[in-house]
Order: sequence, then C-alpha cells, then structure tokens
Amino acid sequence: MDALAELKQTFFQECEELLGALEQKLQALDEGSRDSEDVNAAFRAIHSIKGGAGAFGCTELVAFAHVFEASLDHLRSGRVALEDAPFSLFLRCSDAVSDLVAAARNDEPAQARPDLLAALEKVGQAKPEAPAAVSDEPPGIAALGNLLAMVEAKTAAPAASAADDGWDDEPVAAVAAPRPGRDVCVRISPESDLFRRVIEPRVVIGSLPAEEIVSVTCDMSQVPALEALDVTDCHMRFNVMLRTELPVEEIVAKFDFTLANEEFEVEIMPAAANDDVVEETAAPVSEVPQNVAADLSAILARLGPAPAAAAPAEVAPPQAPVAVAASAPPPPAAPPRPSAKPAANDAAAARQRQAVSVRVDLDRIDRLMNLVGEIVITQSMLVECVRSLPYDVYAKTAEGILTLSRQTRELQDHVMAVRAQPVKAVFQRMPRLVRELAQTLGKEVKLVLEGENTEVDKTIIEELADPLTHMIRNSMDHGLETPDERIAAGKHPEGTIKLIAEHRAGRIVISVTDDGRGIGRDKLLAKARSRGLVGPDEKLAPEEIDQLIFAAGLSTAEAVSDISGRGVGMDVVRRNVESLGGRISVDSEPGRGCKFTLALPLTLAVLEGMVIRCGDDRYVIPIASVIETQHLANTPIEHLTFGQEVLRWRGEVTPLYRLGAVMGSSGTRDENIIIIAETERGGNVGIAVDEIVGQQQVVVKSLEANYGTVNGASAATILGDGLVALILDVDSMLRLAAAGGRQTAPELKLAG
Amino acid sequence: MTLQLGEKHFTSAQPESAARRIVTFRVGDRTFGIDVGMVREIKGWQATTPLPHAAPHVRGVLNLRGVILAVYDLRTAIGLGVTDATATHVIVVVDVEDKTAGLLVDSVSDIVDVPVSAVRPAPDLERDEHGLIEGLVLLENDIVALLDLAAVIKDGGDVTARQARAN
Repeated sequence: MDALAELKQTFFQECEELLGALEQKLQALDEGSRDSEDVNAAFRAIHSIKGGAGAFGCTELVAFAHVFEASLDHLRSGRVALEDAPFSLFLRCSDAVSDLVAAARNDEPAQARPDLLAALEKVGQAKPEAPAAVSDEPPGIAALGNLLAMVEAKTAAPAASAADDGWDDEPVAAVAAPRPGRDVCVRISPESDLFRRVIEPRVVIGSLPAEEIVSVTCDMSQVPALEALDVTDCHMRFNVMLRTELPVEEIVAKFDFTLANEEFEVEIMPAAANDDVVEETAAPVSEVPQNVAADLSAILARLGPAPAAAAPAEVAPPQAPVAVAASAPPPPAAPPRPSAKPAANDAAAARQRQAVSVRVDLDRIDRLMNLVGEIVITQSMLVECVRSLPYDVYAKTAEGILTLSRQTRELQDHVMAVRAQPVKAVFQRMPRLVRELAQTLGKEVKLVLEGENTEVDKTIIEELADPLTHMIRNSMDHGLETPDERIAAGKHPEGTIKLIAEHRAGRIVISVTDDGRGIGRDKLLAKARSRGLVGPDEKLAPEEIDQLIFAAGLSTAEAVSDISGRGVGMDVVRRNVESLGGRISVDSEPGRGCKFTLALPLTLAVLEGMVIRCGDDRYVIPIASVIETQHLANTPIEHLTFGQEVLRWRGEVTPLYRLGAVMGSSGTRDENIIIIAETERGGNVGIAVDEIVGQQQVVVKSLEANYGTVNGASAATILGDGLVALILDVDSMLRLAAAGGRQTAPELKLAG
Repeated sequence: MTLQLGEKHFTSAQPESAARRIVTFRVGDRTFGIDVGMVREIKGWQATTPLPHAAPHVRGVLNLRGVILAVYDLRTAIGLGVTDATATHVIVVVDVEDKTAGLLVDSVSDIVDVPVSAVRPAPDLERDEHGLIEGLVLLENDIVALLDLAAVIKDGGDVTARQARAN
C-alpha cells in the first residue's frame, strides 16, 4: 500500500511537470506557433496524465482528460485547423486539469466542469448522439465501450451516402479511391483474455496503416448471452480488409506487440473478388451489431456506477468529424496518427527519461551538500596547517592540496548543479494566475516572461512561488487599470506585466513590472498617517512613500476584493523574502507603472568570498559583490558636511564607509584597502578595511537557525582555523551605516 | 575537553513525586541550575566571533561541529559585568525552545536530584536577574537559582530589543 502511495506521489509530481509542459505548449500555440510538434507535445502531456490517472483511479481526472485529449487530437490530425482552434478554451481546460490533479492529490471532491466539457465536445463538431458512458470501469469495459462506439458509428453511417470515418480517432476512408496494391484480409480472433492483457482491439487495428484499411467488420457471433457474459472477456472477431502493397511479413510484424501468432491470420485475396468482398463483409455489419450494440449499451448502463453516468467521458467517441460528401475525395490520409503510435512514442520517451534521470529525495542531496561543505572547511584548515611546514615539505604538500582544492571545488559545483533548477518551474504557474485574475478583474493583461532559464537553487525555487504570486496579484489589482481607464489615459487597453529573472551580483533578481498607474502616493501617505505609521508632520520623500507599501496593514484598494486589499499582501512578501536572506524594493512612476524588484541569494549553501580583516575581526564579503580593490592611500577622499566620506571612482562620487566603524569591530583599526562593491540596485560603494586576507569558497551557515538576523551580515561561515566569520551583506551593511545611532522605523528601512 | 551527558531526554515534566535532575554551575559566588534534559554538552571556553551591535550579554558566535551558535555571558545577563574568559571557563551548550545556545559560566559543579516539591517560586528579586529565575532550590549549604533559559537568551535573537540596547 505504501509503495502504491509512493507511486501515486511520483505520478502527481510528474503531473505537475506535464501540466507545465501542456500549458507552455498551448500558450505557444495561442500566441501563434504553428509547430505541429507543439500540438503533439501537448497531446502527449494530457495523454500521459490520463494514463496515470486511470492507473490510480482518479475518475474525474480521467474523464476530463479524455475529452480534452480527444479535442486536441483533432488538431493533431488536422481535422481542426490550428488557426481555428480555441486555444483559450484549451488553456482554461489545462487549468481545470490542474485543479483536478490537485483535488485528486488532496483527496478532495473534484469540481465538475460541465461547461468546459461541453465546449470541448463542440471542438471538431461533435456528433450530438455521442453516447454518454461511464468512466471508471475496468479497462476491459473501457475497451468494450470504445469498440461499441466504433461499431455504432459504423452502423449509423448509411453505407451509400458517406465516407464516415466515425470510429474513435481513426479516420478510415470507407469508400477508398482505387489504390495501388492488392487486397489483403486480416482475420483477428483474439483470445478471450485480450482485455486483461490491457490491449484494445482499437489499438490492434490501429497498428495497421490507417489509409490502407478498406473496411473493418466485427463478428459478434461468439458473444454469449447477456446473463453469461463476462465483460472482461473478449468475444469479438474482426475482419480487416486492406488494400496495400505491404508484404505479408510486414503486416504480421505490426501485430508483434499486441497479438499472439495464433490470434490472427493474413490472407491475400484474389484481385477479381475485390468489390464483392467489400460489400459482403460490409453487409452483415449493419444487421448484426444493431441489436448487439443495444445489448452492450444495456450492459454498460447496468454496470456503470450510478453517479458516474452523469460524467460524459472516457468512452464517448470523441467527436467524429462530420462526413464528407460521397463524391468528395477521401479525407487527406497524410497525418499518420493511429493511436498506437503515440502510445509507443510515449513509452519510448518514458524509457528514455528513465535512463537519463533519477528522482532523488532533496534530503539526500542536502546531506551530500553538507558533507561537501565540511570538506571545504577541512581543506582550508589543511591549507593553514601546511603554511607552517618547513619549505621543502611545504612545496610538495602544497601541490597536493592544490589538486585537492580543485577537485573539491568541482565536486561542489556538481552537487550544486544537481540542486539548481531553472526558475521556469515557478514562472510557468504565473500565466494561469494572470489569466484567471484578468477574467475576475475584467482587465486585459499580457504577461511577458523573460529569463525563465535562469537557474537557482531548488530551495529558493520553492520559496519563490508565494512572493511572486502576491506581487503579480498586487500589480494586477492595484497597478493595472481597466481597459476603459487605460484608453482614457492614452494607453493601450491591454496592460503588460513583465516577469523577468536574471543573475546579478551573485543573486537572482526577479522583477515584476507593470505599466499601470503606479503607486498612488497621496492616498498611501494619507492612509499611513491615519494608521499612525507616519507622524502628521513627518515629511517623506516620494521614494520613501513608495516604500510604505511594504508596511503592515496598508492597502490602497478602495474596496476590499478577493484578490487583494486587506493589506496583508506586500508586507507578507517582504517578510518571506527577508527570511530567505533576500530583499524587495519598489520603484514607481505615477501614471507609468511600477516595478517590484526581488533579490534573492542563488543558493543558501556556498559562496565565493573574499576574507577581509578589520581590527581583530575577520569578515567574508561575497566576491560577486566586489568590483575592485585599491589602496586607500592612493585614493583621494572628500568629507561631506554631514560627515559622510566620499571618493571618486571612475568619475563618479561614491560613498565610503569604514567597515570597522559600521560593524563595531574590536581591536585597533588601520584601514589600508578600499573595496569597491556593488549594491543590488546597481550602485557602487567603497568599503574601507584593514587587510585582504585571502579568497576562498565558504560554506554558508545560517545565523538565524540558532540566533537571529544580524544586521550587516547575511550569514556566517567557518574559516580554516575553526572560527566563525560573518558574511557581509553590502546592502544590509549600508542600511546599518545609514541607521547609525538613529533608530528608524523598521518599516522604512527595508528596501535599501 | 568536552563532556557529553548521557541523560539528555530527562525533562522536568515529571509527576509530582518525581525528582528533577539539575545541573548546577557557578558564576562568581552564585550557583545556578538548569534541568539536565536541556543540556546538550559542556565544553571548555573557545574564542567567539562578536556580532555587531548585539546585546551586551551576547558574547558572539562559535562553531560547534559545523553548527553556528551564539554564546551568552551569564555574568553579564545577571548584571555582574563581563566574564574575562580563560581556558578554565566553561560553555554549557543548551537546547532552548528550537535553538541551540551556549551559556558562558565559571564552572560546572554538580548534577543533583531535587524533589519537585523542594522548588520554591522565585522571590521578587530587586537585582538584574529579575525575570531570569524560574525558582529556587535550597541545598545543604547553597541556594541554587533555577534559570529560565528562554528569558536569558530572549533578547539575543530579537533585533529590535538588541538595537534598542545598542543604541
């Protein structure tokens, strides 16, 4: 049972990936892609979801996925042109599938989506008499149902009038234009355990080239009386007429995977008898199955659990396209798409995936990572020990240590790479959010994603979803105007939200930019005053007002809506982000839009650092923040009136801070070196330190786990001598310096 | 120099008749005690790395087998000044709530069993340890003040309180 639960978990994980792929492909198609591979990929995704869902008994999911799959199949086959396809409907359906997956995962009752189902049925002009059927029967019944549908479609088609390729998704030209080749009759008489081998007759016949099938007839004479019928037994026999040039061996080979040798025979028909045979075999079709089909319908109705009968699903023949007129040429048989083929492809793809990837518990990687971290510490310890050795011994040992350090680093990079994932995993959830919100809010929004392949540690990925969701909600609800308002403001009625990820200064920086109305500063300030967050006489710079958006309990939306407006949004985001060692800031331009920038560390595990000394204390500054270093003595320093020191660097006035003073280092300080560092906002700052001790990889150790946040530092590390050094966070340090002795309101100093 | 205690899971949540097992240690001429279950290990003094603008009783952080924890100077916490730490001083590593912390004391004295009924409530103390003492136990020739560890380390991790003090 546990093993099953585990498998199920894996299935849901896969579902998430598949849903992502599905949505992405549909989105691409919606945006005008005409790549048939996109259609195929979308189809495969939903097909795989359906398959897995069936195995785990997720009835509603199977039902919905089946109808969805069927409509996508119309695209794949070209029966519905890509240009005409309702991709927005498909996208909504993919959302619905995602809901169903979530419901199944949480064992919640799934919400039926009859509206979507109905809309899907219309794709490709569904036949109105499509029989509704049950969806959670054993595979045998499903197969039976498919077959039944096939037979019904066949019998319903008036033989003379139309070339109705009505059975399921195999287009069969009943009236074939004369083709080259000879007539071959394939008699399939499967063993009664066919269904239990999980083989559908449809798949068996589908393995024959669809365009060469002249007719298929079903012999139901072996079907026992209803009372004696075991529906998991197969009693049907088939005769398939082909007009083909394939040698017999190749036809035989097509059944390799489905039928045993004694279950079928291939016979080459004498050419002259051709026409008669077709008619003879076709004739009984319209008689025999009529009543048998009725019986089968009755069985299905009786077997089907009552509630499921409502769900039009699984076995409903998906919308056979309406027949072409008799005189018309047979439908283009070009798309080779018997259902057996994609299934085979999927299986092959799955096998391939299995070969190249392994699912590993994150815990294991974490342990590995920790161990690598310890090795790094030990190694830097060795380096220090070796220094004290006599020169001749030292030279040899140093060489070995050099090799060791190279290998350690490589090891570390590889472990890191295992943990790294593109932010796509989070980004791909956003289009749905935007779609749904746009509908709720009555706004027109285009979401632009950039830098989806930016890689970041998995732990960060997981923490990104909530803040991003909040930020996007905020932009859509507060930032963007309604189409009318936008037109009045001379903007394009469709608003744009850009979600951009990039690496900068050793961090991942994600920005959410909208082109809406910007932050309403007057309103925000008034609100903050009324809540007592800002004193009545306090004057704030416009940028400072913008930062109020992160204060708790503030919301400028006039009406509290479902989406946002309770004032719990942005301050929660801020706390989330800060707890990850990240920061969030906002830039707003009234009337032009608003940009939230979120900066997070790439990983919580390791960083390349410069070890520096100030007085008696050592610190590590992330090498990614360092632009260059220079001697203090060679740098002209000016003092501004309020005590701030500045220096000229590359023609720009750059503030200078003395690290020892800011961090309160112990011992006597003697600053010699200036480190020019980059801040998250792209500005530069000079940091005066006593000495640069060295450069090394350091393992990031949390200060929060056993202590709390430390101003000026993002974390700590252990140096080679076993002592702890703080890892400086330039921006946090600047805030600490700016705060000086003055106690600022915490709300106002968050987004340096 | 590290002494591991075996009975780590002995907690104070015992029935009334049961005894509390208490580790006692000294700071100056005072004796303090904590439940043995909270003590993870006892180790010799080791240099710490000071934290910027931390509360006075936060001595800094140290590395305990790859884990970074803060060390609190109990002497400073009870208002008797800063310990001039030497190799003879001792860090009691304790688990408080979900954190691990070090407590810098002069020496560890004993492990004693005390009947729960012998623990008296802390009197209103006029001195700085106000709020840090959970109760008192009278031994033959000593008064042991049972520490409320959470209160001792409380100001450490709290940014605003720390800042308020630093400023």
